[in-house]
Amino acid sequence: MRVLKLEIDGKAVEVEAEKGKTILEAAKSIGIDIPTLCYHPALEPFGACRLCSVEIEKRGRKKIVTACNYPVEDGLAVNTKSPEIIEIRKMLLELLLARCPEEGKIQRLAHEHGVVKPRFKLEDERCILCGLCTRVCEELVGVSAINVINRGVERAIGTPYMELSDDCIGCGSCALVCPTEAIKREKNIYPTTAEDTRAIEDRFLEGERDAELGVYTDLIAGKSSLDGQDGGIVSSLLISGIKNNLFDAALVVHRKDGYGYKAEAVVVEDVAGIRRAQGTKYLRVPMMSKLEEALKAGKRRIAVVGTPCEVRAVRKIQQQRDLEREFPGVEITLLGLFCFESFDYEGLKERTKREFGVDLDKADKTQITKGKYIVTVDGEDYSCDVRAFEDVVSEGCPYCDDFVSRLADISIGSVGSTDGYSTVIVRSEVGKKLLDATEFVQAEVTKKEIVKLVRFKKKRADKNFAVIMDGLAT
Amino acid sequence: MKVKMKRVDEIIERYKGEEGVLIQLLLDIQSEFNWIPHGVIARISEKMRIPTSQIYRIASFYKAMSLNPVGRHIIHVCLGTACQVRGAPKILDRVEENLKIKEGSTTADMRFSLRRVNCLGCCAMGPVVVVDGNYHGKITPAMVEDILEKYE
Ligand SMILES: Cc1cc2nc3c(=O)[nH]c(=O)nc-3n(C[C@H](O)[C@H](O)[C@H](O)COP(=O)(O)OP(=O)(O)OC[C@H]3O[C@@H](n4cnc5c(N)ncnc54)[C@H](O)[C@@H]3O)c2cc1C
Ligand code: SF4
Ligand code: SF4
Ligand code: FES
Ligand code: FES
Repeated sequence: MRVLKLEIDGKAVEVEAEKGKTILEAAKSIGIDIPTLCYHPALEPFGACRLCSVEIEKRGRKKIVTACNYPVEDGLAVNTKSPEIIEIRKMLLELLLARCPEEGKIQRLAHEHGVVKPRFKLEDERCILCGLCTRVCEELVGVSAINVINRGVERAIGTPYMELSDDCIGCGSCALVCPTEAIKREKNIYPTTAEDTRAIEDRFLEGERDAELGVYTDLIAGKSSLDGQDGGIVSSLLISGIKNNLFDAALVVHRKDGYGYKAEAVVVEDVAGIRRAQGTKYLRVPMMSKLEEALKAGKRRIAVVGTPCEVRAVRKIQQQRDLEREFPGVEITLLGLFCFESFDYEGLKERTKREFGVDLDKADKTQITKGKYIVTVDGEDYSCDVRAFEDVVSEGCPYCDDFVSRLADISIGSVGSTDGYSTVIVRSEVGKKLLDATEFVQAEVTKKEIVKLVRFKKKRADKNFAVIMDGLAT
Repeated sequence: MKVKMKRVDEIIERYKGEEGVLIQLLLDIQSEFNWIPHGVIARISEKMRIPTSQIYRIASFYKAMSLNPVGRHIIHVCLGTACQVRGAPKILDRVEENLKIKEGSTTADMRFSLRRVNCLGCCAMGPVVVVDGNYHGKITPAMVEDILEKYE
């Protein structure tokens, strides 16, 4: 093992060469703090804010580098507090403070460095373009819903064309890392923090707040006359909602014409359209742009069927935008599905072929139940442990902590009831009314089966969030 | 403005399965259509399995790429002070009328994009209209149609 010897602020440090440490990490290891704004230990260094600038001396030559992405070298002498460095930091903070005069964290850092009032023209920005949000979304969550877009003075954080994202799952990771208020103001993504969840529950739902199942009034199992995925309850609710004039249209997911198992979100207004969407497609399907399209096309009373991430997204825009002003008369009924995870279409297809030699596109039905993945082709069932498909799980699912669509008006899933029944959780007046208008055979629910999965999913997400949180603390 | 998706697919096909080819792919799209049309980013995303935001980041960063349609010919009408005084606003009106578009946009057949500029530094020639770098000076509204006709 080769050891690199260097000196930081006069203190000797030894670093194992193989570890590939940066000056920042080496400094930290001997208790020297270098201020940073765009650094997070779990993310690729970005070198954007330059606040971590330090002076290095190598073979008698001095240079200024950014400590967060400069690898340690043998014989390096680093000065983190030279007068020149202090000047650079002050200047950077002065510029940042002028850009974001209202930002608490920037104000604090600036004051710590003796910068009080910038000499530059004050702007009213929130975002410092540190790129922490885009990197967490790309590198950890994996969906890459936002990015640094445009160039020059137009540079900003945003979604493509500044349109509603079809990729964001509302996991909230970006909001955890953002050092400012910026990400919370971004209207085209749906980061849902714990406070957001509370606020949404208070505004839209009613009933007792259960630690595992969320806010609800009723928990039942039901079976309708339709042969859906489970008890056909979702489709029956939609049909009765339209028949009883509770809404005029429904945003559902059906298999795309000519594409086999591949699915798309569509707005339907009749029984035929609803029935065509029956059955679970274990994929994540772009939905928000379709919803906005429908609203813009004049649809107002819409039922949306979605997975927990989609339910979150819809609630978040209801919370953040004044939809009533934009689309007078808007009424959204949210039917949330239970969901542990979804899969990548190509991956699922390829695996199904490899495991069973059958074509997913020809499947009559797919099911994930009691830890098994079951695909039915030509009346024949093929099944295996769902863990065999772990590496084709959709990006982002491990960062989603909601199994039961906590924020929906009514949630439906299969866990908790016997075969052929759907489990139903009623969470609001709207949901109650819809259920009351629907005919079905009722049965008992085993709550603890649901709770088990709720906990399991939350634990997985919490482990991932912990990595993000720990990095913030350092 | 209908984009030929078949053409887009052919271009994507050249790069499929390769890494780090996004910039080149986008440049090819740019040179084929003279811009990067809206639906194309979604198409590339689906076929190359790259999130749309990463494609958009590049398309919105490089100067060589345009996210707005650019016609085959670019018309610059000078509205600098000298040209203004000599009647440039009427020239612009006439061009807009003739092409049935507003300044800053592109005709549906992608033939022309129309832009205004402030002083091209040849005030003595005013009013000045520049098409694809060719200067047309001392023009009158009546001359507009003839000038445009030269550019197919
Ligand atoms: C990706 C995914 C994962 C799921 N995982 C679980 C799980 O782990 N445990 C569990 O108990 N239940 C899970 N479910 C829910 C379950 O599979 C059934 O959807 C639910 O029990 C309703 O059954 P039903 O017979 O009442 O619905 P049906 O009457 O058959 O109607 C199904 C409805 O689901 C909608 N839908 C189908 N695919 C999608 C999709 N990809 N995205 C959005 N909406 C879709 C359709 O629009 C349709 O309206 C999952 C659902 C999905 C979509
Ligand atoms: S939104 Fe927040 S995290 Fe993202 S670049 Fe701006 S300041 Fe950084
Ligand atoms: S909420 Fe999650 S998925 Fe959405 S932009 Fe933020 S990090 Fe990405
Ligand atoms: S922390 Fe090093 S450049 Fe921002
Ligand atoms: S004002 Fe038109 S060229 Fe100067």
